[in-house]
Amino acid sequence: MSVVPAPSRIGALWQQRMQSMREYSIVRDGNAFEAGFSDSVIFSSEYDRARVFLDTLLDRYAGVTFDTVFRGREITNEGGTCFSLESRQEYSFLPLDSEQLRTRLLGDLTLVHGIGPAIQKRLNARGYHSIPDLLEHPCFRQQAKTVLSCITGGDSSSIMDLAGSRHSRSHPSVLGAATLHEPEDFVFLDIETLGLFSRPIILFGIGVIERGHLIVHQYLLRDIAEEQAALIATMDHVSGDRPALVTFNGKSFDFPYLMDRLAYYGLGYPATIPHFDVLHFSRRRWKGQFPSLRLAALEREILNVIREDDVPGQMVPEFYESYLRSGNSGPLVPIVEHNRQDVVSLARLFTYLLEVAHGGS
Amino acid sequence: MAVADLLRLLDTNPVFRARCVHRQVSVPEPPHYGSLDAPLSPALESYLDQCGIRLYSHQCETINHARAGQNVILTTATASGKTLAFNLPVFCHLEQDPDARALYLYPTKALANDQLLSLEQMAQYTGITARVAVYDGDTPQSKRAAIREHSRVIISNPHEIHHVLSWHAKWQPFLSNLDYIVIDEAHRYRGVFGSHIAFVIRRLLRLCRHYGARPQFILSTATLANPVEFAHALTGQECVLVDTDGAPHGRRNFVLFNPFYNGISERSVHQETKDILVSCVKENLQTLCFTGSRKMAELVTVWSRDDARRISQKLADAISVYRAGYLPEERRVIERQLKEGTRKGVVSTNALELGIDVGSLDAVIISGYPGTMMSTRQQAGRAGRKGGESLALLVAQADPLDQYFMHHPEQFFSRPHELAIIDTGNPYIVSGHLICAAAELPLREDRDSAFFGEPLSCLLPDLGAAGLLRKTIRGWVYAGRGRAADVVRLDGVPGESFRVMCHGRLLETMDRGQAYREAHKGAIMLHQGETYVVNEMDLDTHTIRVTETDVDYYTQPQKEIDISIIGTLETRTVNNTPCFFGEVEVTEQYTGYKIKRGDTIIGLEPLTLPPLTFRTKAFWFIPQESVELTVTKCGGDLGGGLHGVEHATIALMPLYVMCDRWDIGGLSSPSFGEKGEPVVFVYDGYEGGIGLAEKAFGLLPELFTAAHELVRDCRCESGCPSCIYSPKCGNDNQPLDKDATVRILRELSHGPEEADHAPIAAGKSEVQAA
Repeated sequence: MSVVPAPSRIGALWQQRMQSMREYSIVRDGNAFEAGFSDSVIFSSEYDRARVFLDTLLDRYAGVTFDTVFRGREITNEGGTCFSLESRQEYSFLPLDSEQLRTRLLGDLTLVHGIGPAIQKRLNARGYHSIPDLLEHPCFRQQAKTVLSCITGGDSSSIMDLAGSRHSRSHPSVLGAATLHEPEDFVFLDIETLGLFSRPIILFGIGVIERGHLIVHQYLLRDIAEEQAALIATMDHVSGDRPALVTFNGKSFDFPYLMDRLAYYGLGYPATIPHFDVLHFSRRRWKGQFPSLRLAALEREILNVIREDDVPGQMVPEFYESYLRSGNSGPLVPIVEHNRQDVVSLARLFTYLLEVAHGGS
Repeated sequence: MAVADLLRLLDTNPVFRARCVHRQVSVPEPPHYGSLDAPLSPALESYLDQCGIRLYSHQCETINHARAGQNVILTTATASGKTLAFNLPVFCHLEQDPDARALYLYPTKALANDQLLSLEQMAQYTGITARVAVYDGDTPQSKRAAIREHSRVIISNPHEIHHVLSWHAKWQPFLSNLDYIVIDEAHRYRGVFGSHIAFVIRRLLRLCRHYGARPQFILSTATLANPVEFAHALTGQECVLVDTDGAPHGRRNFVLFNPFYNGISERSVHQETKDILVSCVKENLQTLCFTGSRKMAELVTVWSRDDARRISQKLADAISVYRAGYLPEERRVIERQLKEGTRKGVVSTNALELGIDVGSLDAVIISGYPGTMMSTRQQAGRAGRKGGESLALLVAQADPLDQYFMHHPEQFFSRPHELAIIDTGNPYIVSGHLICAAAELPLREDRDSAFFGEPLSCLLPDLGAAGLLRKTIRGWVYAGRGRAADVVRLDGVPGESFRVMCHGRLLETMDRGQAYREAHKGAIMLHQGETYVVNEMDLDTHTIRVTETDVDYYTQPQKEIDISIIGTLETRTVNNTPCFFGEVEVTEQYTGYKIKRGDTIIGLEPLTLPPLTFRTKAFWFIPQESVELTVTKCGGDLGGGLHGVEHATIALMPLYVMCDRWDIGGLSSPSFGEKGEPVVFVYDGYEGGIGLAEKAFGLLPELFTAAHELVRDCRCESGCPSCIYSPKCGNDNQPLDKDATVRILRELSHGPEEADHAPIAAGKSEVQAA
């Protein structure tokens, strides 16, 4: 009995409804008041520029094959195939001094449950200056023992949990836990997606440090069908001995998004990985100094990076959709470069914060 | 014995006596207790003992079926202990299986909160760990994770489920152990909304299967004609029916009260309602009065208080209105006063029939048929306390359905014949949920056709071509721009949507059809009881701008309808009349609107709007030449007759198919198509159809008979709002020919015959039901 009337209208109807949905809003230039509230606004001049840029790209790359535009290789795993790009640059990472962290932690009595700044002051006055001192204290003895074993024997995750729960997620001791890692442990991650939630990830950017170089691996979907392979390739990078994830706003966005996509394909989760979210540390350090704490703003202020021909992050879905529709690789060019630059800036910003706070002398 | 006194008053007072056209009495029924196949656990047994509860037969049946692993649908009366019937098997299972979880779905937040209290109480008494929690739009972000992880009983609503399904990874602990889904008030999920909910439930089941769970259902509904079919359509599962009510009740009187008993009414329905309410309160009966609108509730209250004040101020103060806008505390006061007996009369709108927790009362007055028998029964079910005698009284309006019942009480008190419709075949609705499902897990034709049926394989390539889905080795993956669940609204069939703005603030959104009908330029529009005038309708940006206004007139759009038949799906002959069901394309052209004050037209304005075209399902029939001859021989107007047939048929459709007459459209023409045959079309007013015309097609003989009786028995001369006038007629009820209508309907319901001299049946009757 069920007759499907005019099917071609249905797809078009939904498409029309979707078109009117944007996950960002366009605001008048200079309306900093509105722009300040959320990441999901874009200035109208920026929007107009990006639309013109998109047309230029479609023109410039018309008829140019994908393989001519991107020099990479196809990789294959149990999830299928996807396209892999690699770039490297020299990168110096000062040796990290974990002793400084341990000293700081041992002197921080407030890590013990029940001790706040006021009690710490009183305890200091009575001669308790370090956690080991507290082992003699009648009340805090037991608690101090647990904290001490965490500081002396714990890995970065447990130290981050300890400092994070007693202080805040952006506390210097949380960042300091990074000194327990070798530079080779860090996995810098940034993803580009088709939307804010529950849609495919179209580009995975992973930065790793190898022998004085920062290598950026990018897994690009030539079609949505390649997402699974790209997910598996990405997760291979965090399956090492003691990987540590570094992201910008990844605790709220990139990581849960990644987990969600793994669940979507019925793929397993990795065990808990230490995760340094540079946004939290940046906020603590630069809050109020710059009008914005977005990665693009910080790289401009701190790293003196000026991007040219960039695609605004919010418009990545539109650019990618335009590639899917037309088959023209042009719109992918700024997405790939945008993502690569994000990974590089993320790594540099992390290094900067770490060296300032914990660099070896 | 106060009820008996009032009944005596109705019998002796000449004004009342004339209007009471029927009284149905049902004798008291003692409780019927049941037995369980297996005893409950000691904890639950002692809970029942402590509360002094002995289980009725329908509760035992429900528990036995549920514990045997069957899905159950329970359809017993208001206040028959349905809640306990599904809470017991759920708790029994929670106690046996420490990992088990249960989901309760309620249509409103208020009901969810009421249920929270009763579940918490049960958990506390029995010591069974349930950690009952409500999870809906009001649940703070900070509590959500803990509820998902630890709560064993979660109470939510279908809208919330629609939105959380895409976060299923976070719900894994709950979904993988979900053993029971309880859907209370399931009859609310019918029509377009119900069809959406049916797919939300299928999406939920699909994810449960993904995580290895196979939940069992317990549904409860008000009385329907097709509970088993309905439950199957809603859940996709076979359900066992429990419908024999074991709860006791006292002597019940149901009075049909017709202010239009002699064809006209000197006083308004509200005035008549007020008189009865005051009489009830004077007799010291606690009375609940349901009215059709908020304004009517207010008026009836004011007038009743004025009348009662002549006796005493105290009596006047005992009557009050129960508003939707009341704060919870204000409601609780009224509820408490009703329970204590200091408050005697409460007037409320139909909409509040569910949100009100006042227990049972002595009398219920229903002012105007509320649209469905189901609501009528639910409202009337409020009458009857502790086995005492009770009264329910329906005050009829000048509407076709009201008047039909007044003339045909046997129809009113017969077995339910309203079918609750869920259409899982509407491609516009299915496609939306396919998009959502593809965003939850890749869609696979082989596995998932079990949930989405036959349309799945036709629709996927189409959605793929539009770029919304991409085919991968894992199945179809969602790749659209918006969040899928945000694009799919559960309360309508997708279409272009218009935004109604007032001073830059969004009032509401409506689809194009509704916008053309209610929010064209110049229209007087109602929104949540406030009046607005439409200043501008921008078709390019889909924006309607309105401002508040306070006028004493209203507007009524004029439209022309054109239909073309796309394909015939079924054919049948009813009393020699060929009838068809199939797919049609409807084009509605709004040509202008009338400005009216009361019934007077004070202005006429043209409208220029593009035509509105949609495909839907319809039934149509072609009256034979003999009918044409009969009509023309008597000097009747065939066009006016067919138009009357169209209106009467649509007016009575809700009698058989649960819907609003606004959900259906119609067209009649004395010469349609190339052959120039007379034809009447009745179609679903939703893109793709929603199953209304389809169900009615199967019931055409009954529908024709009822329509014939309606028009024939109406005492009016040449048509009136009680028979063939339609409030939504786009042609201003022109032309109409009542005599011709009766002749055509007679032939449709009896076949061709010589002149009919059936007497007008509108006498009084009293029936003693066993």
